[in-house]
Amino acid sequence: MEILLEAFRSLGKDKLRTFLSMLGIVIGVIAVIVAIAIGAGTTANVTARISSLGSNVIIITPGFTGGFGGRAAMALTSVLQETDVQNIQQMAPDVADVTPILQKNFNVIYQATNTVVTVVGAYPDTFSILDLPLQSGRLLNQNDENADANVAVIGNVIATTLFGNEDPVGQTVYVSTGGFQVPITIVGELKQTGSKLTFNPDNMLIIPYTTAAAKLIQLNGGVSQIIASAKSAQTALNAVDEINNILYMRLQNTNQYRVISQNQILSTVSQTTDVLTLLLASIAAISMVVGGIGIMNIMLVSVTERTKEIGVKMAMGATRRRIMVEFLVESMFITIVAGAIGVGLSFLIAALVTYLASGLGLTVIITWPSIVLSFGVSVAIGLFFGLYPAYLASKKSPVEALRYE
Amino acid sequence: MAALLELKNVKKIYDMGRDIHVEALRGVSFSIEEGSYTAIMGHSGSGKSTLLQIMGCLDRVTSGEIVIKGTAVKDMNDFQLAKFRNRTIGFVFQSFNLIGNLTAIENVELPMIYAGVPRAERRKRAMELLKLVGLEEPEERAYHRPNQLSGGQQQRVAIARALANDPAVILADEPTGNLATNQWRRILDIFKRLNESGKTIIIVTHDPLVGQEATRIITLEDGEIIKDERIK
Repeated sequence: MEILLEAFRSLGKDKLRTFLSMLGIVIGVIAVIVAIAIGAGTTANVTARISSLGSNVIIITPGFTGGFGGRAAMALTSVLQETDVQNIQQMAPDVADVTPILQKNFNVIYQATNTVVTVVGAYPDTFSILDLPLQSGRLLNQNDENADANVAVIGNVIATTLFGNEDPVGQTVYVSTGGFQVPITIVGELKQTGSKLTFNPDNMLIIPYTTAAAKLIQLNGGVSQIIASAKSAQTALNAVDEINNILYMRLQNTNQYRVISQNQILSTVSQTTDVLTLLLASIAAISMVVGGIGIMNIMLVSVTERTKEIGVKMAMGATRRRIMVEFLVESMFITIVAGAIGVGLSFLIAALVTYLASGLGLTVIITWPSIVLSFGVSVAIGLFFGLYPAYLASKKSPVEALRYE
Repeated sequence: MAALLELKNVKKIYDMGRDIHVEALRGVSFSIEEGSYTAIMGHSGSGKSTLLQIMGCLDRVTSGEIVIKGTAVKDMNDFQLAKFRNRTIGFVFQSFNLIGNLTAIENVELPMIYAGVPRAERRKRAMELLKLVGLEEPEERAYHRPNQLSGGQQQRVAIARALANDPAVILADEPTGNLATNQWRRILDIFKRLNESGKTIIIVTHDPLVGQEATRIITLEDGEIIKDERIK
């Protein structure tokens, strides 16, 4: 208790010096906490975006075989076939629903408005697989599919572009393809969902798969990609394996296709952000070490300045251990207070960063482990960098210390 | 009377490096009785400061033996020496050496903190000691920092601090050296009074006027005792 009080007094004697020696640790703690908070915020952001995909979604895309564009790229777009969809449907027990996707950009015309829209041909199941909610009208159904009907469900944003304030349901738009114009009647409008990884339903016109295949996007049985849903989150990985096997049986080359589940994307992304966070935090941690060296420097000066005091205390009967503890308490006092100030200020800085970077969609989430970690490290730095000066103080010869002026 | 402190052929040689050795004490032997008042006199460089450091267990002898209260100091380690100094010896220095960021009363409490005396008891005893050494307005000045006190007041606080753990002997190193004459007198009166109440006192000084107060004067020159006289 007396030791604490004494430490407080001797630190209070030169407030500027104490403050400056704290500064390094304060900045270090803030840097570590904010760096980890930005990492955590980014992870949360990306995770939320990927999760919006729907929990059990599996995406099958043509693979990359290297090389650039041209013939190779074109050839790959039709690697996946309708037959694959049928095979998955029949042979993958852990897959709930599956749909082929035909996707291409077209000029779409409504009265005087002419704009580029992504037209997607897909089975009615798509709406449940990707969890797309209806705002008005109706979704596509099997009858539309069977009849190659010229009907569509329109995304929220593109509906506003084409129709303004008009109700799109019941209107007819014209999809321009080569010399033809295919009339399509809007039967439903989706709610705004935001981007779902590779899809942005807000800007899409979704039509029956058969309609797309017959009238707009002829790939001779090829499909742009395939989307499936697993029966549950637990069986998602099994479903991925089953789909992989089915595709391998036909294509005999794992490079020609990719099967990715949402969980796989999540873990890849979180691994990446974890590495980035670690990198940021390590750089920040260096500033804490630099701060610790500053404290060691100050403590060494302090030990020299107070040589006489050390001698007097030894003459009064202070043991070497006691002298050592006194100086150690001082350096730890500096880092504990600095750590606490740093933790406090990091909330302020985090709020500031959130405010300034709100346009970037940057989220800053301060996590408990980062607080405990950085505070713990600053205490450890006080101990580590205070140890040597305290040891020197305790090793002084009482006679020489008393003679010091 | 029983010997409180006994030196037997004590030698102290300082190794200054490059094979230069300074012989500060060349075989000093004497004993100090309990309750005595001894002045150790000599010019600067006579070895009297070295002698004080050795009697105060701040430094070790090169050869010879020193026994305080029946304990051979030679056999003690640093920890035991610190504890021994704390309980057995009270130091008074020429330049007072109060701790600057502690108040007067806290300075007096310091040796008691090291001895593990409980807080309330320490406070009470420290205040009694400040009154004993005649600090003016002790209730108020006890809470002053050393730099708010005069030299004489600081030295009285230092004496109170030396008395804190009721040590067997008070070792004073030129205690009046930094004081004006009127203050000087008061400090010597305190030592006299303490001695009369039974405290063993050893004062190291070069000043004959200070030496006169003692009942025994040991004179050193070149690390040897050249005179040992008892007065009265």
